[in-house]
Amino acid sequence: MTTELRREGVLDRLLGLVRARDGRLTRELRREPGGFGLGQVPASKAPDATTGVVCGFCSTGCGLTVHLRDGEAVNLTPTADYPVNRGMACPKGWEALTVLDAPDRATAPLLRGADGRRREVGWDEAMTTLAARFRAIQKEHGSDSVAFLSTGQIATEEMALLGAVAKFGLGMVHGDGNTRQCMASAVVAYKQAFGFDAPPYTYQDLEESDCIVLIGANPCIAHPVLWERATRNPHRPEILVVDPRRTETAMAATLHLPVRPKSDLVFLYGLANLLIERGAIDRPFIDAHTRGFDEFAAFVGRFDAEYVARETGLREEVVRDAADRIANGRRVSFWWTMGVNQGHQGVKTAQAAINLALLTGNIGRPGTGANSITGQCNAMGSRLFSNTTNLLGGRDFADPAHRAEVAEILDIPEGRIPDRPSWSYDRILDGVRAGEIRGLWIIGTNPAHSWIDQSRFRETLGELDFLVVQDMYHSTETAELADLLLPAAGWGEKEGTFINSERRVGLHKKVRRAPGKALADFQIFKLAAHYAGCDALFDEWSSPEAAFQILKRLSAGRPCDVTGIADYRALDEAGGIQWPFPAEGADPSPERRLFADGRFHHPDGRARFLFEEPRPAPEPAGGDFPMQLLTGRGSAAQWHTQTRTAKSDVLRKLHPRDPYVEINPVDAEAAGLATGDWAVVASRRGEARARAFVTPTVAAGQLFLPMHDAATNRLTLAAFDAESRQPSYKSCAARVRAARAGEIPRRADTSTSH
Amino acid sequence: MPVVEERPTAIADREAPAPSRPRGDRLVASLLAEQGDLTAVERFAQVHQDAAEPIQAQYYSALLPAEPPGPGQQLAFEVDLGRCSGCKACVAACHSLNGLDADETWRDVGLLIGGSTALPVLQHVTTACHHCVEPACQSACPVEAYEKDPITGIVRHLDDQCIGCQYCTLACPYDAPKYNPAKGIVRKCDMCADRLKVGEAPACVQACPHEAIRIRVVDVAEVRADAEAGAFLPGAFDPAYTRPATRFRSLVPGDLRPADDHLPTPEHGHTPLAVMLVLTQLAAGGFLIELLARLAGATDGVAGSAHPRACLAMGFLGLGASLLHLGRPLYAYRAILGIRHSWLSREIATLGLFAKVAAAYVAADLLFPGWLDGRPGLRLGMLAAVVASGGAGVGSSVMVYHVVRRPYWRASIAGCKFAGTAVVLGLAVALACLGVQGGRATTPLIATALALGAATAVKLAFEARDLDATGDDPLGRTARLLRGPLRRAVDLRRTLGIAGGFVLPAAAVLVLFAGAPIGTAIASGLALGASLAGEFVERSLFFRAVSKPRMPGGLPS
Repeated sequence: MTTELRREGVLDRLLGLVRARDGRLTRELRREPGGFGLGQVPASKAPDATTGVVCGFCSTGCGLTVHLRDGEAVNLTPTADYPVNRGMACPKGWEALTVLDAPDRATAPLLRGADGRRREVGWDEAMTTLAARFRAIQKEHGSDSVAFLSTGQIATEEMALLGAVAKFGLGMVHGDGNTRQCMASAVVAYKQAFGFDAPPYTYQDLEESDCIVLIGANPCIAHPVLWERATRNPHRPEILVVDPRRTETAMAATLHLPVRPKSDLVFLYGLANLLIERGAIDRPFIDAHTRGFDEFAAFVGRFDAEYVARETGLREEVVRDAADRIANGRRVSFWWTMGVNQGHQGVKTAQAAINLALLTGNIGRPGTGANSITGQCNAMGSRLFSNTTNLLGGRDFADPAHRAEVAEILDIPEGRIPDRPSWSYDRILDGVRAGEIRGLWIIGTNPAHSWIDQSRFRETLGELDFLVVQDMYHSTETAELADLLLPAAGWGEKEGTFINSERRVGLHKKVRRAPGKALADFQIFKLAAHYAGCDALFDEWSSPEAAFQILKRLSAGRPCDVTGIADYRALDEAGGIQWPFPAEGADPSPERRLFADGRFHHPDGRARFLFEEPRPAPEPAGGDFPMQLLTGRGSAAQWHTQTRTAKSDVLRKLHPRDPYVEINPVDAEAAGLATGDWAVVASRRGEARARAFVTPTVAAGQLFLPMHDAATNRLTLAAFDAESRQPSYKSCAARVRAARAGEIPRRADTSTSH
Repeated sequence: MPVVEERPTAIADREAPAPSRPRGDRLVASLLAEQGDLTAVERFAQVHQDAAEPIQAQYYSALLPAEPPGPGQQLAFEVDLGRCSGCKACVAACHSLNGLDADETWRDVGLLIGGSTALPVLQHVTTACHHCVEPACQSACPVEAYEKDPITGIVRHLDDQCIGCQYCTLACPYDAPKYNPAKGIVRKCDMCADRLKVGEAPACVQACPHEAIRIRVVDVAEVRADAEAGAFLPGAFDPAYTRPATRFRSLVPGDLRPADDHLPTPEHGHTPLAVMLVLTQLAAGGFLIELLARLAGATDGVAGSAHPRACLAMGFLGLGASLLHLGRPLYAYRAILGIRHSWLSREIATLGLFAKVAAAYVAADLLFPGWLDGRPGLRLGMLAAVVASGGAGVGSSVMVYHVVRRPYWRASIAGCKFAGTAVVLGLAVALACLGVQGGRATTPLIATALALGAATAVKLAFEARDLDATGDDPLGRTARLLRGPLRRAVDLRRTLGIAGGFVLPAAAVLVLFAGAPIGTAIASGLALGASLAGEFVERSLFFRAVSKPRMPGGLPS
């Protein structure tokens, strides 16, 4: 028997040499039930526990279930029952853990020596140097001669601690965030119109609208999970997309409105005029809850269909058709993002959308709203708590009562709170050029790629006496310029809260160990306070969760009151909580919108109609630069300057390897370009080399460059919205030609497939 | 910028740290310790700890078929193109939920563009294995590492059976099997068969935010009929070849073309395969020349025993090189399993037979010198057998490429090239052997040189035609590659051909008349080297310049 068995075993093994149905390689891909309601997972990564976090890329704020083994993340899946994303994520979310394992992670502080080379130092030396250098600069040039540039990518608790330490501890006056680059126009638009920076909507509105108007937004690519919510809308909504390009979202629209670049403001005023003309307005709402309608109606009177058609390049009947569809909607929602915010009149364009919602009474009800889709995962946290332009909690630095409140809540001397708001990002850079700012601390952002008019920006950084950069990677364009690089833990290696586009406070947790000596930004700010000798002021900020309790107190009685959220655990169990959530009388529904009662945050409770004369784009196409250059997101797999997303092999596979420029077939033919050919795109400021991608989805006379290539911002024009100081990335004059032989990168000829 | 070494004490006009505060380095140490402490599990409640059923099922259950496939049916992906927005979450989810290697992906998202100026169209296309009714991967596989499930129709790859020959990656016109060089095998989408078995959706179906991918039951007859009618997806390969089961729905009408339609990119050069083909063809050609020489009455053959030995050695070298192509060469012996359907199995079998028969012939002369000389009939018979098996081997090589339906590889082109290589290199080896003998036989040397020149001229002229095509068809793309990114290789190939076929053979003859036999030896040896190198480059171009059928793509990633 035994011998027989053995013989069978031997026979099986011999047969297995010929035909192997199972074995090591087969087992490597085995799937098994993962438990925890996950379904099957790769057996090699089966979890022993799971925990939920919010994603750290964009402002959608998806819930991700992290699969843990011994407390450490091994895999993740989108959280099936999170109210934002309902089991879905974009590729960035799926790959969020992968990007933590990059070889170019910063693992120790790097200090540039007198020889110009960077060497590893300990934290003690690094922070001693930081404190000493900043102090020396401040002593010589005044305390406002050191500034910081922060990010929308770190936790609210971290932003708040940075803002507090830098301004109340280190005595800085000026600090701004990269949120200036994506959100500032929406912030100003809301503050002026509603009396507070209060995006009124909840994502459910996308499912309840019968007419969705998207202005300068391509959620299919930029916010895929928001688009998920639109695709789940059971009301067969009209989808109007205002975008010069025929994007994925425009493809899915019931009406695409390819207006000329930067003619959106005229178009929106035209819509308002047509709606008023045909009486498609909500007079009772206007009378009860707004101010300035009559002036607005008089102002838009001249924006008739004929004029609008001439200015936008749309046909007159298309303009009328768009107005009809809005008029026919009972639940119309207006959504905008960077196409509006990054304009030379971004604030007024956003307010033009707000005006449409106000005059049609499409606000405060399900499926309505004037809704800004935010960019970064915590842009909304930054808007309330970064202590840059606004004093903590959406307050005003210039208001003595506000300063007194904050001083009392934080138990710090009132005199430590600056009595003026920070300079904006561009003004800080002007300050560097003028020698007013001599020390700069850049945290979690990569302006040496992302800031407008790049060549000038890099010269500017060279003017500084001391540049500190705090980042996950030592290889970003900005990190490489640093005199002192502080290695930061990334998302997933620390904890804190983000606030997403729909005002939902969500929690992210530490599920990985940071590499080497990298520390959470929160801890680095604590160290900065310690080495500057002012840590006594921040004793209560002992941990992110302790800081969250401080933020709650700062929010009390404000429109963003979150005093009803007990602690992190409560937040975790609720699946995120939208503000406001006051301790008394909070509505516990998982999806809530603002202004159901028609009361806005101005003292009189009324929203404002705000408008101004449209102005031509600052650099119209013509002469030597006959084309309009548009910029924007290239794919859902890329995030901004790609410091993180470029670290994932999978994400890299999901977008073209080489930089590319989208060009209309007519222009391509004129330039002698076919798809794949190398082209040189130039503006008055610089050149970029990119492969031509010939497509009719870009109109003739226009070019589109994704923002993910560092060369793109060598071309962009440093023009700003006058009110929000947000850069106008999306429009400048340019030209294109085929690259000459010497201009083609060498690897262009290499084999690409296998 | 100077480094400040000074340690700040208390900052003037700010309060000094309280004496009880920890020193900075101690604070750093405690923060680093805190950083390394993972506490998410202890601090937060475990949700769904006892949930046995997948919570995600609420979203995907409607995307799965209610009933399993019946007779004459199978499972298939159904892609609603109107819902595919190009987010590519399906690719990432497939990667994560299937535990693929860091750079491995089984799903692709291609791009179709077109339409009119008034209404341009941009259509992303998510695609993976089509679980074809007649899978080309399966019929190509020499080791039977593919099986098509008789009930579900899922085409499964048996990873442990695979030897890594990658022939399936050439045979599949949709780029579904993916070679994993680290593992030395091909892996591919199995429609998450284990998940389907327990009522769970495949990873891509679970992950698509827009419900663009579902699994449905299709009638095989319907798939066949659609394939015959050519209905599949614009820009994709003729579905009549493999009858792909995937259904693409709601495609916008209009003239749509793959975004990479005008962007031919060079393919992999497959050096070991190029070496194998060239050297086995050299050997086959060499024995053919040997046979012809003997038939023409040369009692010593081309150049005595050295010639067949050289041919045999080169042939063995070629077969050895082919092993370098395999991801798992230890299991190469399995390659015979597919003899009934795989031309690769047949190539391996016939070339193996050729090597054995040729070795027997050479061994007979080596072990029993003179024995065959007394039996000219037997010698001719043995030689004929060597040539016949060599011919069968070269013919099988032609078929290996012909059957994968790439126009540049069809038998009328590949056959002429492979036969041409056999003749050119057979003559080049003969010339080298004659030359090394110092040109003792002047007439044969001159005749061989002339023949080599003529054969090379014909072959170069034949190859030059590849550059002429101008259309948007596969041969046009090949021509664009040869005229564009590959032009330097084309120039090199021509230079080597001219040197090895004309210049050096002429030099060998001229120096012979000049009375410098050593010069003849060197020149004829160099002629062989140049011809051989030229054929390698030609064969490398054969692989690199082919237009690979695939699903619509975009700019290369």
